[in-house]
Order: sequence, then C-alpha cells, then structure tokens
Amino acid sequence: MTTTDTAAAPDSSPTVLEEAVTSTDPNTLSRVWGFGGMTSVLLGAFAGLLVGLERLGLVSADVFSSADEMFQFWSAHRVALVLLGVLPVLMGLATTVVPRQCGGLLLFPRAAALACWTWLIGAGMTIAGFLADGGLGTPGGAGQRQATALTLMGLLLVIGGLLLASVCVMTTIVSGRAAGTGLRDLPFTAWTMLVAATVWTGMLPVLAANTVLVYVDLRGRPAVRFGAEDAIWEQLSWMFTHPAVYVLALPVIGIALDVLARATGITQSNRDVLLVATAAFGFLSFGAFAQTFFDTPGTPIREEALSVVAAFAIVPVVLAILGGVADTLRRGASNLGSKPPAEAVVALVAVLLVVVGTVIGVVHVIAPLDLLGTAVEGANFTFVVGAAVLGVGAGFHHWGDEIVGPGARPGLFLLGGLALAFGVVLSGATDLISGLLDQNDFTGVTIAAAGYPGSGVDALNLVSMVGSLAVVAGLVVWMVAGILHMATAQGVSVRNTTSEKGAA
Amino acid sequence: MASTIPAVPTRPRTLVIASAFGTGSVLMYFGGLFALYFSIRADTLAWGSEWYPEGAIQLVPGGMNMATLAMSAITMAWAVQAVLNDDRVHAMIAMALTAVLGIAMVNQTVFYFKDIGLPIDSSEAATMLYVIVGSHLVMVAVGVLWLGILLLRTLGGQDTNRHRDLVSAAALYWYAAVAVYSVIWVGIYIAK
Repeated sequence: MTTTDTAAAPDSSPTVLEEAVTSTDPNTLSRVWGFGGMTSVLLGAFAGLLVGLERLGLVSADVFSSADEMFQFWSAHRVALVLLGVLPVLMGLATTVVPRQCGGLLLFPRAAALACWTWLIGAGMTIAGFLADGGLGTPGGAGQRQATALTLMGLLLVIGGLLLASVCVMTTIVSGRAAGTGLRDLPFTAWTMLVAATVWTGMLPVLAANTVLVYVDLRGRPAVRFGAEDAIWEQLSWMFTHPAVYVLALPVIGIALDVLARATGITQSNRDVLLVATAAFGFLSFGAFAQTFFDTPGTPIREEALSVVAAFAIVPVVLAILGGVADTLRRGASNLGSKPPAEAVVALVAVLLVVVGTVIGVVHVIAPLDLLGTAVEGANFTFVVGAAVLGVGAGFHHWGDEIVGPGARPGLFLLGGLALAFGVVLSGATDLISGLLDQNDFTGVTIAAAGYPGSGVDALNLVSMVGSLAVVAGLVVWMVAGILHMATAQGVSVRNTTSEKGAA
Repeated sequence: MASTIPAVPTRPRTLVIASAFGTGSVLMYFGGLFALYFSIRADTLAWGSEWYPEGAIQLVPGGMNMATLAMSAITMAWAVQAVLNDDRVHAMIAMALTAVLGIAMVNQTVFYFKDIGLPIDSSEAATMLYVIVGSHLVMVAVGVLWLGILLLRTLGGQDTNRHRDLVSAAALYWYAAVAVYSVIWVGIYIAK
C-alpha cells in the first residue's frame, strides 16, 4: 500500500456486484460457483421434470412438439446437472474448504477467479444454445446449427473454466499445504478432491477434444461425420454416464466422511484403507475410454472386459468405504444424540445412494440381461448424480457459516434434503424397473421409440415423474434456505459494520 | 472447521507444479485426439478403404518441422541452464532462438497446409488431420507467447537463478509441445 491509498472516500466501498466480479477472495468465488451451480442443478431438474411429463403420455406429444425438442431437454437435463451443476458446486466448495483444510491459502487466486467467470460465461452460452433450438444435436437433425455451435463453444468455455479451477485446487493441495502436513494427513474432503481433480484433468480434456472435433466438422459446410446433428450427443454422452459420473460422487464421499467424523466426534479407524479405497474409486471412475460412438463393429466398448471389470471392481471399493462410514457411526452413535445434525443425515443418505448407484452400474453391464441403452442407465445416473447433489449440499451446509456467515437454516435444509432424496429414490427405482422392462434411456415421444411397446411402463413413468417433482421441490427449498442464509449473514455483517463505526 | 491449521504455505515451485498439471491436461487433450485418430484409421484400413489419398501427405514438411522443434528443445534447455547460471545474455539468446524456431514451425505448417490440396471436408482423415495439427499450432503459438513474456522478464532482470520457476514451467510446456509433435510426425506424416 502506498501513502496515497490512505485517503479513500467513505462511500468508495464496492457494491455486491463489483465485489463479486473483481474479487479473488475464495469465499466470494465459492458463492458464485455455488449459487450458479445450484441454479443450473435446479434448471436441469426442471428440464428432467418436463421430460417426465412428456413420458406420461407416449401416444402423443403433449409437452414437446417433436422427438428432437424432447431430446434437447433430455440432454440439457444431463449437461446442466453434471457440467453446469454438480461439478461447479464441488469446485466452489473446493475453492474455499480445501485451502483451509490444507492449512494454507488458495494458490493462484486470480486464475481461480478467471476460471469461475469463464465457467459462468460458458454456462450462460450453453444454456442459451439449448434454448435457441441448438443443444448437442438431435436425432432428427432439426436443430439450428448456429445454436448448436453456440452450445459447443459454451461447453468448451465451461470445460476450460473447470480445468483451470481444478489446476488451482490441485496445486494448492500438492504445493500449498502447510509444512509438515503430508498427503496422508489431509482431511478426506481435500484428499478426495485431489483424486477427483486429477481424474477431471484427465477426462475433461478428452471431452474438449471430442467437442473441438464436433465443432470443426459442424461449422461452415456439410458435416463429414463428427458434426452431424444426429451424431453429436453420442460422442459426448460418455461424460454423462457410467463410469464417468462416479467421479462426481467421490468428493461427496470425502465430505460425508468429514461431516460424520465431526458430528460423531470420532476419528475414522483404518484411515489408510479409506484413503486407498477413495483413490481406487476415483481411478475406476475414469470413463473417457467408454466412447460408444467409436465402437469397432462387433466389439462394443461397453461389453468389453475393461468396462465390465471396472463396473464390478468399484462395488467392493464402495462397500469398503461404506464399512468405514458404518464403523464411524457405530463408534460415535452415542455422540449423535436424538437429533443428529442435518448435514450428517443428508451426507449419510448420499453415501447410501452412491452404493445403490454403483450396484445398478453392475447390473446394467451384465451382458445376458441386455440392459445397455435402457432406462437402467438413467437410473444409474439418477442415483449417482442425486447422491452428488445431496452430498455437496451437505458440504455447503456444514461449512456454510464459514463461507457465507452465520444464519444457516438446518430445518429447511433437512426438509429439502429429504424431499430430494425421496425424489431421487422414487425416480431412480422406477427408471430401474422400466429399464428391466425394456424402456429405452431416451424414450422419444412415441411408444415405438420408448422401447418394447407392450412393456406397460405408463404407471412407472407416472411414479418417476412424481419423483422428479419431489427433486425440484427439494431443490427449491434448498435455494430458499440458501437465500435466507445469505440474507441473514448479510444482515449480521451490516449490523457488525454499523456497530464498529458507532464504536469508532 | 476442525482440521484448520493456520500457517503460511512454504512449499516452493508452485508455478512448475501448476504448469505440470496444466501440461498434463493438454497432453490428455492430444491423447484423446490421437486415440480417436488411430482407432478410426485402424478401422478404415481394416475395411480395405483408403485413409489419405496417395501422395497427399508429404514426408519432407513433417520431417523439417520435427527437426525444427527438436532444435528448439535444445535451445529451451540452453535457456533453462543459462537462467540457472544467472547468465542473462545467453538466456535471452536461447529464449529468442526457441521462439523463432517455434514461429518457423508455425510458418512451415501454414505454408504446407495451403499447398496440401486436401480439403478439410474431403474425409474423416482430413478433418482429424486439421484438428490435430491445428490444435498443435495453437499449443506452439501459446508457447511462443509465453517465451515472449519470459524474454521481456529476462530483459528486466527478473528471470534469475532464484526466480527461475516460470522458465522451468515454460520449458516443461515446450518439451510437451515437442513430444506431441513427435507423435504427429510418426503417426501422421510417416505412417500416413
């Protein structure tokens, strides 16, 4: 600071918007990531609800005018939940919690701010592309090419932002942690974030490579192959399915382990086993190889040994983690009391949903059952991503006072979390049964496109839609709880400032 | 937070570590493209189809570019060594030479692709060729810009033995660019 800085005008304090845009404070960045990401999760869940409404009557197109339009919303649902929703919210939590857990500061804060705003602009472009009849291609090829290009460009910015943020977080953990703190000493949230960010920096560039290939082929001339409207989604869909979606659940496991340890006051036994198991979970989640679009004829990648073994191998790993969670709960049950913390309940539900999701992942790769491409894939996605949303919500509630300030609403948070969990279970379970009855993952708008016409899944689709409604309701409750929390924290901050000025 | 340990981070070389992670991401990007390229190429050839038209891909331009980049790897190592020895004049010469070799590589590639007679929409092979080589040109261009910044810093006396992390980070990135080109050279220009 120079001597000229001391004569600042009394009204020169930045507005909330100015502070948000120019700040490199991890807490501010975390709020931008978190609020933006949770808004995208809500939008994604709403898109899923509309798709569920359409599936109620597969004889006619009641909500969407065509299969292409329904496909755009169906794919938007997955993109919004994964790349625009859960991943950024996790990044928001990592930006602020990980440096504290490492006993240091966030390294490269300006790069972290650049990453956050790059992601936000990219997310806006992606959503605009979907709404402008673009998206990531359509089966009938009736989308707008310019809007599709906009979506792809937005997606590249989203990937760039997430990658840059991942590099900041990983460098903070590897190089910025306090002297004397080994990687084995890290709390589980920081550890799982390191593993997950490593896998993200391996998978997201591959997704970027797919996207660039599609974009180059799409622009300016008839597409050769990659940019064809009906081929785009299949090239990018690996990011939104088994096993790549599992990596979304990994930091959630870390959050749950930390939250439960705090709630029970118990340190996990067999800590090294849990560190190895979470690392194994992360590396089994690497899904960039599972690109069905590039299958060699006769040898689908999803039926090859690597895919099948990875799907089976992750189950014992996740069961080992569940064992660690159960052991912590068993030894610390007496400390929980009759009214355990809301975030502990929600985090525990999230871990259970991850276990269910991985088991469904195993079921869907068993070749004789022939479930690839059916709604079982959707059930797998619903359970895992639903668990990720629940877990990240638990994390934000757990560390909310440090990120936002005092004023959390545990009752509202628990209500929203339980509604969300109920919706995920209802929606996921009915999708699982529908898949076993041969309903396709993307059902289209006709019975013929939905799969086996006589499967009689209408009632199941109704229950699934009710589940989607519960998910949206739970998320709305969480948003309200979050806004009330921020308003309370802002009020406390203003009161403190006023009283400090008065005292001065 | 139970596990907060307030302390100042003391581990050095954060720039090199961040650069290693960033460069790793770039390598994964090219890894993805190469995997697709070689997979589709193998399928196409297995069906007895033509990948590139006869004579479309010349060995000489690719070989010249490889030689240029190989020389640039040596000059980059020279720059790192000069900074380690606090030899500012040699550091500037080495960085300038590395940047010039990078620009020469970009120039040769652009010239060749204007002359190649293989439209981007002529086949899957052509589309992938342009995407891979174009992406690598961007990688080299970013490296040249980075070297330009380093050159300015060296002129100002900021790149020294004590503050060499940015040079080491740039060197890591540059070696990765050379390594990526070596795959392009073998997999595309030689194997065709």
